[in-house]
Amino acid sequence: MVTKVIEIEQIKHELDNDLKKSSLSSDVDKLNTKYLGKQGRINFLFKTLPVKTDPQLGKAVNELKNLIKDKLSAKLSETLSHAQQDIVDVTVPGLEIPQGSLHLVTQAIEEIESIFQKLGFVRRRYPEVETDWYYAEGLNIPKDHPARDDQETFYITNNTVLTAHTSNGQLREMELKKTPPIKMINIGKTYRRQIDATHTPMFHQFEGLVIDKGINITHLLGVTEYFAKSYFGQERQTRLRPHHFQFTEPSFEIDVTCGVCQGTGMVHEIPCKVCKSGWLELGGAGMVHPNVLRNGNFDPEECSGFAFGWGVERVLMIKSGLPDLRLIYNDDIRFLKQF
Amino acid sequence: MDIVLTDSSLRKFLDTPANSDILSQNVSLCGPTFDRTKQVGDDYVYEIEAISNRIDTASAIGVAREAVAILTQFNIPAKLINDIYQEKPVFRTGLPRQFHFNIKKNQVLRFSAISLENISIKPSPKDIAIFLANCGQRPLNNCVDITNELTILYGMPSHIFDLDKLAAQNLIIRDSVDGEWLTTLDNEKHKLVSGDLVIEDGSGRLVDLCGIMGGQVAEVDEHTKRILLIVPVYDPKKIRRTSLRLQKRTIAAQLYEKQPDPELCLPVLYKAIQLIKERAGGEIASPLFDYYPLNRPPKLIALDLEWLNAFVGVNLNQETVISILASLGFGGTIDSGKIVCTVPSWRYYDINIKEDLAEEVARIYGYFKLPPILPCVNLPSEAVNPLLKAESFIKRYLSDIGYHEIYNNSLISLELLEKMGLNPADHLKLNNALSRDYEYLRMSLVPSALLNHKHNQGKIDEPLKTFEIANCYQKIEGRELPREISTLAMLSGEDYRKIKGEIEALLWKLRVKDISFKPSRTPPPFFNPAGTADIYSEKLLLGHIGSIKPGVLIKIDLLNNPMAIEINLADMVLKINRKYEFHPVPEYPPVLEEMTIDSRKSLGVIIETIQNTSELIKKVQYINSFKGKHSFGISFGNDNRNLEQSEINTLKDIIQNRFKV
Repeated sequence: MVTKVIEIEQIKHELDNDLKKSSLSSDVDKLNTKYLGKQGRINFLFKTLPVKTDPQLGKAVNELKNLIKDKLSAKLSETLSHAQQDIVDVTVPGLEIPQGSLHLVTQAIEEIESIFQKLGFVRRRYPEVETDWYYAEGLNIPKDHPARDDQETFYITNNTVLTAHTSNGQLREMELKKTPPIKMINIGKTYRRQIDATHTPMFHQFEGLVIDKGINITHLLGVTEYFAKSYFGQERQTRLRPHHFQFTEPSFEIDVTCGVCQGTGMVHEIPCKVCKSGWLELGGAGMVHPNVLRNGNFDPEECSGFAFGWGVERVLMIKSGLPDLRLIYNDDIRFLKQF
Repeated sequence: MDIVLTDSSLRKFLDTPANSDILSQNVSLCGPTFDRTKQVGDDYVYEIEAISNRIDTASAIGVAREAVAILTQFNIPAKLINDIYQEKPVFRTGLPRQFHFNIKKNQVLRFSAISLENISIKPSPKDIAIFLANCGQRPLNNCVDITNELTILYGMPSHIFDLDKLAAQNLIIRDSVDGEWLTTLDNEKHKLVSGDLVIEDGSGRLVDLCGIMGGQVAEVDEHTKRILLIVPVYDPKKIRRTSLRLQKRTIAAQLYEKQPDPELCLPVLYKAIQLIKERAGGEIASPLFDYYPLNRPPKLIALDLEWLNAFVGVNLNQETVISILASLGFGGTIDSGKIVCTVPSWRYYDINIKEDLAEEVARIYGYFKLPPILPCVNLPSEAVNPLLKAESFIKRYLSDIGYHEIYNNSLISLELLEKMGLNPADHLKLNNALSRDYEYLRMSLVPSALLNHKHNQGKIDEPLKTFEIANCYQKIEGRELPREISTLAMLSGEDYRKIKGEIEALLWKLRVKDISFKPSRTPPPFFNPAGTADIYSEKLLLGHIGSIKPGVLIKIDLLNNPMAIEINLADMVLKINRKYEFHPVPEYPPVLEEMTIDSRKSLGVIIETIQNTSELIKKVQYINSFKGKHSFGISFGNDNRNLEQSEINTLKDIIQNRFKV
């Protein structure tokens, strides 16, 4: 036992000598290998001494090992604080990671989808090229109705169109589900024959449809308000105004308070240029017309529903203050990469 | 329909202490929307949006009636005054006939007319001229101004002719014949087609473009002494058709295409006569002409109170419902537990079903009073749509590794198709395109992507990398609708290995099964056959990767040579692995050795050959090539033990031997 203790003391002594001679961090690294490495002094002690049969001895070697670790770590800190050449210039620029960008419309769609997902809506995608039945006739817009000759619809044949709204999803969803309940959000591309600051020939709409027993106007209000506050901000208010659409009865126009004038209609005592008297039109909505329910093989005496169809770009413009819709359909990367 | 009214004109019919602010705010919530209010002198001018099916509100009296019903709900006193429907006009009989209309069947719903004499034409009184100007109309003379004034007040257009300029004994209302000409009061000549509604006089001249604008030949001027006054209601579809075709969107046309209430004809005619007497000294010279073939039975709709409350989400009592409906002119009686409502004449066409009545009750009660409630719907759970999930994943992944997302129009030009070498006949084409730039539905996203790169030439320093996910449209023989295929296109200014690595990593992350790249025999026409591969998952062709034909690049003026990828995502999601497989982590680390192979075979074949040599070869990594010699990093390993160097050397020899020619 005594010889072993001497051996331990010798190692301590040797280490102190070694440490005196070390001034660089690389020297400390070498000592680390010498004492604590796989083939080092400590491991040699563990291999050669009867540590398993002599717990006292094992404890002494472990203590030695911890002592060495402490001393080496103290020495390392000391060498580093002296060694100017090892200091990193932390103001050096980071290596650039290539930055791509997600389109604003994608970002808006994802946000809209996630809001409605929380309310339990199922996301759908329905045809963009559609037959007259799903697009118009089945939505209670007869062949000779003025809504047909609005000149806004792109026709492919006499009976097929590029959809100008996402409401074709209403009958499609009723066919898919066959019975209530329905709670879906159909987000898709839509097309209209117009182009100006607030219209592009291609845009996106999201169409909500809820059908069940006992669905009423207050439910439409509930979903509208939830969406408006989630998407635009808790301070925004919504209101319903009477309107007319063929496929809903009653029909509403939904307004949100303007973010520029905070709903007051005035900015620095000048009428707000963005809105009409403090309100911005969000889009149309209404209670599903009984004829539309019948066309979807649903019984209007048994169930009722509401629907809304709002523009993705429209809500994006209301939220972001983007002045011209044509900007986001420009392909200039210098613009797009900002997002 | 957007109309302009003054506050003072509204108050001819509306008796209320409410000021213009309170009036416009409250009425907007429940009825027609007051878009803007402007103060002019001591009056206010309102821009009002009358809802498209509510032509009865496109007038001062119509807005006033709505305002009375609405303000009452806000506990603001309001009364409808000077209601023209309450007036019972009486016309003299026994006067000589001054004119006659022959009317073809189904052209008009009602046609009332009368003539007046001893007219003295002069400017309107000042207040009338100001009123018209405030409403955006140019004052002309006392008689014409009366017709315009009455249109604003009652929403019923009327027209006057100079009777002495007409061969009036044989006026005919008829369809125009193709090629006929008519000059309207604004001095515009119109070529008519078959089916425009016109009035022809006894001398064969066309004197009126019905419902849109009068003809110049019978214009009232300062010499006019005798006039013919008409208050008609025409077939709305005919008026709309002609007005749209000629792009003559007069106020009269906009009213007529929505069909004003024919019951208004006589009261308005009577009102006009009174005003002409007053302002132009005219006197009635003929008996009343009133053609009214329409026979409308009273319209009755039953409303169940319980249903109404459930549908709106309120709890109103019977008295409230009946009084709201009464304030809008509906009659209401109780019959076997239901409220039976009679529809007033001015609402005859827009009120048809009980839901229409529910709207009337709910909006006047006030939508803003309804509580917002989230519906509780027990929707059965559904699996996540794998395509939508994959699209969202891809977008995020690509934008994270330096790609910019672009949305291009689904419609492209014939010119672009031709430059790409695509066949226009394969594509769906619009019947009524807005311009030649947007005419054909895309079958590939790559053409638009190439234009994106062209548009960005010289704008940024680093190599441009863009992508788009959108539908392509594929005609299907014998089917009316195309297949809409969700497609991914990537276009990169970096080299083939870089973009290939990116798509490999993406497909691996998406867990798409067994991806392979094979030289493409028949790539899409714009891909360069010398540098394009088919991308397969198992045996299913997903898309293509490669360079673009130099000829195509020249045609679209793209200076660099980007690498393109196009993948059919609808097919790709079918190949996503839903099963999870686990492999134990090997305890014995592999040994990495470099090897150089001298071979003329393609790299894909060389790598496959090395890989297939032994199960002990875990991974083959390509390093580079130089003069037909290819360097690889090869990992050798055995899951159960460490390999001896001699075993590795033997394997290396075997590999080299496989490439001996």
